[in-house]
Amino acid sequence: MPKDICTIQGVIKNYGNFRALHGIDLHVQKGEFIALVGPSGSGKSTLLQIISGFEAPSEGRLLIDGVDMTDVAPADRPTSMVFQKLALFPHKTIAENIGFPLKLRKVPKAEIAKRTREMLDLMELKPEYLNRYPAQLSGGEQQRVALARSMISHPKLLLLDEPLSALDVKLKKVLQTELKRLHRSLGVTFIHVTHDLEEAMMLADHICVMQNGLLLQVGTPDDIYYRPTHRFVAEFIGETNLFPVKAGQNGSYEIEELPGARGVSSFGGEGVQSDTAYLMVRPEFLHLAAPDHDLDVTIDIVVSETFNHGSTTQVKAVTREGNHIITLEIQGHLDEAVDIGAHLTVGWHDTDTHLFARTADKMEFAA
Amino acid sequence: MNRKFEARLINAGLVCSVILVLVFFYIPIFTLIMFSFKEGRILNLPFEGWSLRWYQQLFSNGEVGKAAVHSFVVAVASTLISTVIGLGAAQSFVRFSFRGKTLFQIVAMAPLVFPQLLLGVVLLLWFSVLGNTFDFSNNLFTAIMGHCVYLVPFTTIIIAVQAASFDPTLEQAAQDFGATPWEVFREVTFPVLWPGVFSASIFAFLLSWGNFYISYSLTGTERTLPTFVFSGMALGSTPLYPALATITFVVGLLLIVFAEGIRRRSLAKTMASPKE
Amino acid sequence: MSHSLEPSRLMVALHALPSVLLQSAFFVVPLCMTIALSFQETQYYQVQWVWSLTTWTEIFTTYYYWKILFNTVLMSLACVGLCAMIGFPIAYALVTRFQKWQATIKILLVFAFLTDAVLKTFGWVVFLDQTGPANFVLNFLGLPDLPDWVIYSRVSVLFGMVYTLLPFSIFTIYLSVDMIDKNLLRAAYDCGASKFRAFYEVTLPLCKNGLMAGALLVFVLSLGSFLEPKVLGGGKNPMAAELIRQTFETRINWPLGSALTIVVISITVITILLASRLLDLGQGRKK
Repeated sequence: MPKDICTIQGVIKNYGNFRALHGIDLHVQKGEFIALVGPSGSGKSTLLQIISGFEAPSEGRLLIDGVDMTDVAPADRPTSMVFQKLALFPHKTIAENIGFPLKLRKVPKAEIAKRTREMLDLMELKPEYLNRYPAQLSGGEQQRVALARSMISHPKLLLLDEPLSALDVKLKKVLQTELKRLHRSLGVTFIHVTHDLEEAMMLADHICVMQNGLLLQVGTPDDIYYRPTHRFVAEFIGETNLFPVKAGQNGSYEIEELPGARGVSSFGGEGVQSDTAYLMVRPEFLHLAAPDHDLDVTIDIVVSETFNHGSTTQVKAVTREGNHIITLEIQGHLDEAVDIGAHLTVGWHDTDTHLFARTADKMEFAA
Repeated sequence: MNRKFEARLINAGLVCSVILVLVFFYIPIFTLIMFSFKEGRILNLPFEGWSLRWYQQLFSNGEVGKAAVHSFVVAVASTLISTVIGLGAAQSFVRFSFRGKTLFQIVAMAPLVFPQLLLGVVLLLWFSVLGNTFDFSNNLFTAIMGHCVYLVPFTTIIIAVQAASFDPTLEQAAQDFGATPWEVFREVTFPVLWPGVFSASIFAFLLSWGNFYISYSLTGTERTLPTFVFSGMALGSTPLYPALATITFVVGLLLIVFAEGIRRRSLAKTMASPKE
Repeated sequence: MSHSLEPSRLMVALHALPSVLLQSAFFVVPLCMTIALSFQETQYYQVQWVWSLTTWTEIFTTYYYWKILFNTVLMSLACVGLCAMIGFPIAYALVTRFQKWQATIKILLVFAFLTDAVLKTFGWVVFLDQTGPANFVLNFLGLPDLPDWVIYSRVSVLFGMVYTLLPFSIFTIYLSVDMIDKNLLRAAYDCGASKFRAFYEVTLPLCKNGLMAGALLVFVLSLGSFLEPKVLGGGKNPMAAELIRQTFETRINWPLGSALTIVVISITVITILLASRLLDLGQGRKK
């Protein structure tokens, strides 16, 4: 098992009476790409600040590469930060910006020049940029310069504080690809803060979803998408259908209320430590009922709105009985156009569903 | 049609008013420049002829030379002191929050809305009392202190404007790369604030160089150029003073144009900082 | 949520202390001493350190002082009015017109402002002199000389004061007009407002604070006018600053001079307090 590069143990952060972090535990392994995801105010940036050393935890411990970081200044930590607004020095040329960390370490000039050139090549920046100023470069190029500056001193841990959030969608996609390539080729551990779960899913090996100063779930992108443990996580990305369920006999669960559903069975809830839970069915797992389709559960719905997403069509509907809102996603265009008000029958396979405890809701509110 | 005419009228009115005000501002300045080239010794029209003799006299006049040296010493010293103090005060204004900040801001800005002559008078009393106790009389040093009190609010405001757009993550980044507090200041904070610091110092220099009100009370027996001119004005003056004025104007204008050039160059370089 | 490091006490002290020390030692303390001095007695041109109200009794019972103070306030108010009236269109024009020439005009204004006040006043004296360029031009156009009431009178003093203080007015108003979001005006036009209406409903209210601040600055600074009444007024209509100067220089009566200084400063402080109250009210309504 690979060694932890960064260990966070019971970290609490208080700002006066406000508690920004409620005891965070996290293990980051060497070479991983970790994403800290959450809405603003979730504590993700505060956690990053604590790892970088710009904030001190009120309680708890932080180890980097096995060394306690409590009394270590940001400069002396084997971490390097890429700031949200990039923090390129506007009065220094690109060469001076990239070489700055080495200049501070009194590295000989020739060596600085050599390593700056190497970083420039690695980032695929043109050599003639060396004598330009940051303002003369495009947003994407500035991004690469910031990365180059952070990587030149070979940190063990690269911390990225939403560096992509200010860019337009197209450039963002390009740089996301770039970041992933860079991570693979450098082998350095990345900790990336973002409010965009889609971005996190694209980039990270492991995602930490945060809300209100709590770490709700840590897992692979698949875990987060298909096997969320909290309603917040389930609803954080895309649309989803959640049906409240409660514990019945011999450890199985039953849907509490879904009038008109046919073939409702009970669900085995392994690992769910609660009497009440949610049954999650992702919209793409809801299928139109057809004779050759052997669905476990079916229900009649009335279409209320359709959205064309290009490769898929999203349909918003309500159940004919009970007016439950249902969202489904259908591959490609429908053969027959679905009109608003059309009556459809849809259903799912039980194997495509996921069950998780409902108690989490209360914890979220207590936070 | 009617509307268009109205808009044109307003346009013309606004443009004309600016031109008129500029003329208004420059009447005394051009009057003095013109009279500095007058042949005769009385400052009236018509001209008997043009000459440069007053400039010659000016350069051979020991009194003027001495006053100029005094003005220069006072201006350079008070510019340096007030710019350094203003830089600190501006940072405290914009970047820090601390107890008693409001009181600090009020006191730091008060001299700006304080009539200058009264500031001079109040300081004159204070230095007289101090002088009696510690046995000194007013000299260039007291004038420098007086100028600083007057200049610091100006330098503070000008630098604070620059500091307000300062991105604090620049300093964090430098720290993260291993810079000591002093290195952060030398490599990042000061260079980024430099355009503001530079304009502030030019402003301070010219305000000090041309200051009459405070120098009048505080220079004691030493004279600076403005007090020299003031005492000369009373006796039937000669084109010597306009000649002196002309040189002052030219140097001042060059300084301002130079400062503006520097400001624009650094702006062109660093504008459109990477964000949004 | 701010991620900047909390500045250490040492950092704050390092930055703020020099200015605190300077302003305490050479502004606050001297001011306090001036107040104390106004309660002393004077004899044979020497301050007697005896607490008394003699000076203040003299001030409150001497009509002459109050006449000069009244004259000073009146002149200052006139100066404020003129500066606002001239300054506003200039600032407005600077922001909305002159895209190309704006920088140059600003430099010219700054230069005029920064130039030695004595020289500029002297320039006016030369210009307005009986045999100076003003009359020369007038005669050339076939007009009579400037009348007596224009030179060495209140008119010329006011003229000089406006000349000196107009830049303060222009700069403060310029800043407030420049800060107005241009889209607000577009929105007003879009709602169907005419240019006048948009100016009256949007521009004017939004730069009210700039106008007020400029007026305040001009008022306070004109209370201390000295060169203009002395040089351009020919000493016929003394203002407060000149009276104070004389009290120290010619009469060598420090307590009296201090007391008069305190009176002028009190007017200044009261005006500022009243104005900040007014400005606060304006802001309160905005929220």
